[in-house]
Amino acid sequence: MRVLCYPLEVSASTTSPVDGRSKTLALLVSVFTIATCGLIYELLAGTIASYLLGDSVTQFSVIIGLYLSAMGVGSFLSRYFRHDLVVRFIQIEILVGLIGGVSSPVFFFAFAELQAFRLVLFGWVLVTGVLVGLEIPLLIRILKERFPLRDLISKVLSLDYVGALAASLLFPLWLVPRVGLMRTSFVFGALNVLVAIWTCHIFFREHRRPWLLVQAYVAFVVLLAGIVFSTELASFSERRLYKDPIIFAQSSPYQRMVLTRADDEVRLYLNGELQFSSLDEYRYHEALVHPGLAAVASPRHCLVLGGGDGFAVRELLKDQRVESVTLVDLDPLMTESFRDHATLATLNDHALRSPRVTVHNADAFVWLQEQTQLYDFIVVDFPDPLGYSVGKLYTRTFYRRLIGHLAPQGLIAIQSTSPLVSRQAFWCIVETVRSVGLVATPYHAAVPTFGEWGFTLASREAFRMPKTLAPGLRFLAPSLLPGLFEFPADMRPVAVETNQLNNQILVRYYEQGWRHYTGQLGS
Amino acid sequence: MKQGFSRRQLLRWTPGLVAAWTLGCPSRPRPPGSLDAGIDLSGIGGSIVGAAHEIGHRLRTGALPEPRQTREVPVLIIGGGIAGLSAGWKLLGSGVDDFEILELEDTAGGNSRWGQNDVSRFPWGAHYLPLPTPESTAVRELLAEMGMMVGEGSDGAPIYDPRHLCHAPQERILLDDEWQDGLSARDLISHDLSDPAEMAELVAFERQLAIYRDWRDAEGRPGFALPAALSSDDPELRELDTITMRQYFDRAGWRSERLRWYVDYCCRDDYGCSLDTTSAWAGWHYFCSRAEDAEYLTWPEGNGRIVRHLASRLGDRVRTGKLAYRVVPGVARDGVRDGADRGVTVDVLDARSETVERIYARQVICAVPRFTAPHLIAGYDLPGIERFTYSPWVVANLTVRQLPPDAAWDNVIYHSRSLGYVVATHQNLAIAPQRSVLTYYLPLTDAAPAVARQQMLERGWQEWASMILADLSMAHPNIHSLVEQLDVMLWGHAMIRPVPGFFWSDVRRRAAEPFGAIRFAHSDMSGLSLFEEAQYQGVRAAEDLMAELGHPFRTSLS
Repeated sequence: MRVLCYPLEVSASTTSPVDGRSKTLALLVSVFTIATCGLIYELLAGTIASYLLGDSVTQFSVIIGLYLSAMGVGSFLSRYFRHDLVVRFIQIEILVGLIGGVSSPVFFFAFAELQAFRLVLFGWVLVTGVLVGLEIPLLIRILKERFPLRDLISKVLSLDYVGALAASLLFPLWLVPRVGLMRTSFVFGALNVLVAIWTCHIFFREHRRPWLLVQAYVAFVVLLAGIVFSTELASFSERRLYKDPIIFAQSSPYQRMVLTRADDEVRLYLNGELQFSSLDEYRYHEALVHPGLAAVASPRHCLVLGGGDGFAVRELLKDQRVESVTLVDLDPLMTESFRDHATLATLNDHALRSPRVTVHNADAFVWLQEQTQLYDFIVVDFPDPLGYSVGKLYTRTFYRRLIGHLAPQGLIAIQSTSPLVSRQAFWCIVETVRSVGLVATPYHAAVPTFGEWGFTLASREAFRMPKTLAPGLRFLAPSLLPGLFEFPADMRPVAVETNQLNNQILVRYYEQGWRHYTGQLGS
Repeated sequence: MKQGFSRRQLLRWTPGLVAAWTLGCPSRPRPPGSLDAGIDLSGIGGSIVGAAHEIGHRLRTGALPEPRQTREVPVLIIGGGIAGLSAGWKLLGSGVDDFEILELEDTAGGNSRWGQNDVSRFPWGAHYLPLPTPESTAVRELLAEMGMMVGEGSDGAPIYDPRHLCHAPQERILLDDEWQDGLSARDLISHDLSDPAEMAELVAFERQLAIYRDWRDAEGRPGFALPAALSSDDPELRELDTITMRQYFDRAGWRSERLRWYVDYCCRDDYGCSLDTTSAWAGWHYFCSRAEDAEYLTWPEGNGRIVRHLASRLGDRVRTGKLAYRVVPGVARDGVRDGADRGVTVDVLDARSETVERIYARQVICAVPRFTAPHLIAGYDLPGIERFTYSPWVVANLTVRQLPPDAAWDNVIYHSRSLGYVVATHQNLAIAPQRSVLTYYLPLTDAAPAVARQQMLERGWQEWASMILADLSMAHPNIHSLVEQLDVMLWGHAMIRPVPGFFWSDVRRRAAEPFGAIRFAHSDMSGLSLFEEAQYQGVRAAEDLMAELGHPFRTSLS
C-alpha cells in the first residue's frame, strides 16, 4: 500500500499549551474510537465466519485467537516505527479503516466466488489484527510526553476497554439487527478514517502532509459510498426475504440459488422455495431413497432426476451394490456448486466427486428421450409442482417415458409433496402413476422443516417391504419401515383426477393445498 | 366452454396471384397516416416473406412463352393446399397413384404452411385442429394414420396422444392490465363481480348455445355440423343466415360489452369477419358444431404437421413452384380439338426455370380459391362469383430471446384488434426457459376487404413490424428488446367470408358443380375457411372422380 511507502521524516513537536490540550483530547477520543472499531472488526469476522461456516464456537474462538495474536504481532512491530509517529499513526488509521471497512463485503464475496475462503478470511483477520495492534503502542508513544506514564497507561487502557464495551453492546443490540453486517463494516471503517482526518487537521501545522489528507478523504468517500450502497451491494439486499443470513447467492438462467445459515443450519432456497435444511435433510433423503433402493434385488445402475444437491446420490452411494449413479439435473450451477464448493460438498459427503457418479446437465424430459439405457432404481426428486413448467414432470406422459428406462425388476421413487398440506396433490401423483399401468406404493415420513412429506414408489410388480437397509442411516431402520406406509385419517386418499399435459390439474391441486394450509402460496 | 377454435383454418390463396389481381384493381385512397409507432427496430431482422410477386407480374403482363413440351398426366390436381393435398391423399389411399399436384409456392400447404428456424418450427397460418366430431370421419381417419391416437376409450371414442393435445396453460387474456387465465365468455364476464344483468345475458347466451348445439331436425341431422354440408337445412335455422351476428345480439337484447367482444373475437378468429359482418348462422356454427369443451391438437408448426404428413405420403407427386395459368377444357392435339369431356389442357409455368409446359390431363381437380376459376379456366362462367369475398390477414412470426413469463399457448390482448399470439414452443417438453417463436395474427376486418387488402400490400416491413411491436407492447412493454427476428406474411385472400346469405346462397351450391372433366375442391365451397371443410371438399372431389372412373374405393365421408 502506498501510504506505507512515504519516507520517514523526523519532526520535533513544539506546541503551545492550549494547542496541546486539544491535541491530547483528540488523541484520547481516538483511543476510544479505535478501540471500538477494533473490536467491531473482530466481531464482524467472527459473526460472518459463523454465518458462512457454521459452528459458531469454533469460528469465534479461532477468529478471536487469530485476531489477538495478530494484535500482539502488531504491538511487537511497533518498535520498528521510530520517527514521525503521528504520520505513521494517521497512515495506519486510514489503512485500518479501509481494510476493516470492506471486510464484510470481502468475506461474502470470497465465500461465494472463491474456493479458498478460509485463506482470505484468516489473512484478512491477521492483517486487520496487526494494524489494530500497532495503534495503541504508537498512541502511547505519541502521548507519552504529555502525561506521566502512570496517568497515561491508566487513561489509554481504560478508554480502550470502555471502547470495547461500547462495541460489544452496540454490535448485537443495534448494529446487527438494524444496521446490518455490510453497513456496519463500512460505518466503522469510516469512523477509523475520520480519526485519521481529525488527527491530520490537528497536526497539520507540524506535519504538513496535504497528500496524506487527500488520501484520508478519498478513503472516507469510498467508505461513505459503501454505506450508501451497502443494501444494493451484490444480492444481499434479498436478505430481508429470508429468515437467516444469506451466505451464498447466485443466479443461473434457470433459477436463483440462495443458501442461508443460522448457527449450524444451512438452508437452500431455489427461487425462494426451501429445498432443504441441513439439520434434517437426511430424513427426507433417507426416506426418498432407501425404502425403494433396498427393495430392488440388484440395484446396479441408478438414475437420479433432479436432486442436483447430490443428497440422493449420497444416499445411493451408501449401498455397495450400486455400481453407477447417473445424475441428471438441469442446472450446472447446482451440480457444480455442490461438487466444488467446500461447504456445500461437505454436506453431501463429496458424493458428486465419486467415481461411481456421472453428472449430466440436461432437461430430464429431453434427456430421457435421447437415452436407451435401463436403470434398476430411479429417484425422481424434482421441485414441487409449483408451476406449469415443472408440472410437466409429474404427468402421465412423463411417467410413460420413465417406464421405458426402468429395468424389468426395477423401482422408481418419486418425491410427491406433502400429503398433509396438499393432500389432493399427493394423491394426484399417486393416481397418475397408477394410470400409466404401474403399481404405486405411497408412503410418508416426518421432516421437521418440511412437515409430513410424501413419496411414491412405482414398479411393475407389487412392492415388497425390504428386510434390511443400507448401512449408516440416521433416520430409517427396517423395523420402522412398515409405519411409513400407513396413512393416518388426515392424509388418506381423496378422489382426484390424473395429471396430464393438457390439464395440469396437479398444479391447481398443489396451489389450493398450500393456500388452504398456510393462507398463502408457498412454505 | 373452452374457447379458441381460433384460426383453425386459414385457407390458402397464393399471394402471387393475389398481387396480380389487386394490382389490376382501380387505385384506392392511401391508408390514413403512417403506422410507424416510433418503435426502435434496430437489431431486429426480418422481411415480408412468402409472396411470389414476380410470378404475379409475369402473369399480368402476359409475357409467357408458348409451351414447347407436352406430356400427359391422367389426373391433375391444381393447388397444393389442404383441399388439393387431401384429394391426393384420398386417391393414393384408394390405389390411384398416377396423378400430380401443382403448387405455385415453394412449399405446399396453403393456409397451413409453416416455417422453421434454429429455435423451432412455426405456423404461417392455421395452427391447430379441434378434436374431430364423430361426423368428421375423414379427419379421424387421417389423424389415426398420423399416429395421433393412442387407443380407444371404453365408449369407443379415440384417445389422443397427450403430447399433441394442447398443454396447459392453454389460454390467457390481458384484461385491465392483468393477465387472466382462460378465454371463454364466462371467464371474461365472471372475471370481476359483474352486474347481474350481464350475468343474465351470459346465461342466456350459454343456454341458446346449448340449444343450438343439441338441435336435431326430423331426419336427425344436427343444426350445425362439421362438415357443414351435413347441417340441417331447416328453414328456422336458415333464417339465421339472413342477419348478422350483431343483429342477432341486438334482437336478443344482449348488450354486455364483454360478451359482444368475445363473440366478435371468435368471428374474427375463425372467419376474419367481425360481429358486424358475420352471418348469425356462421357465428352459431362456430360455437355449436363441436362438442362442448372440445380439446385441440397442436404442434409447433401448427397444421403444418398435417401438411408434412400428407406431403411425405404423396412424395414427388407434389410439384412446387408450378403455376397453372391456363386451363382449357378438351384436348387439342396436333391441331385436332377433342370434345370438352375428353380431357383438359393445362399450361403450366415453372417458376424456377421459367419454362412452360403443356399437360394433357384426363381429369382435373381445381383446388385453388374459387374466385380465380373464371380467370383460370377458359369458358367457365359462374354468375354471382363476386359474392365470394375474402378477408385479408397479416401473420407474423417473432423469434424472441426469451418467452414472456407465464406465457400460455394462446395469448390474447383485450384492447387489441389483433388476435394476440401463440407460442410455437408451447408443446416442447423441456422445462428450461427458452428462446421461442411467437406467431402473431391480425385479420383485417375493419375496412372492406378490397380496401384493407390494398392498404395491407402498400405497407412495408418497417411499418408492419412497428405496428405489431406497438400492439404487443401493450402486454409486454419491453417486447422490442426481446425480438431477434420478425417476419411478416401478407395473406391477401386468407379466408372466405361467411357474410349473411352466403352459406345458403345458390352461387355457393353451384360452385361445387363440375365443369366438364374439371372438378372443384376448396373450403370456399363450404363457405367456412376450416381445415375440416378443406379436407372434406378435397376428399369428396377425389371420391366423385373415382366413382366416375369406376375405380373402387371405400368412402371416408359419413
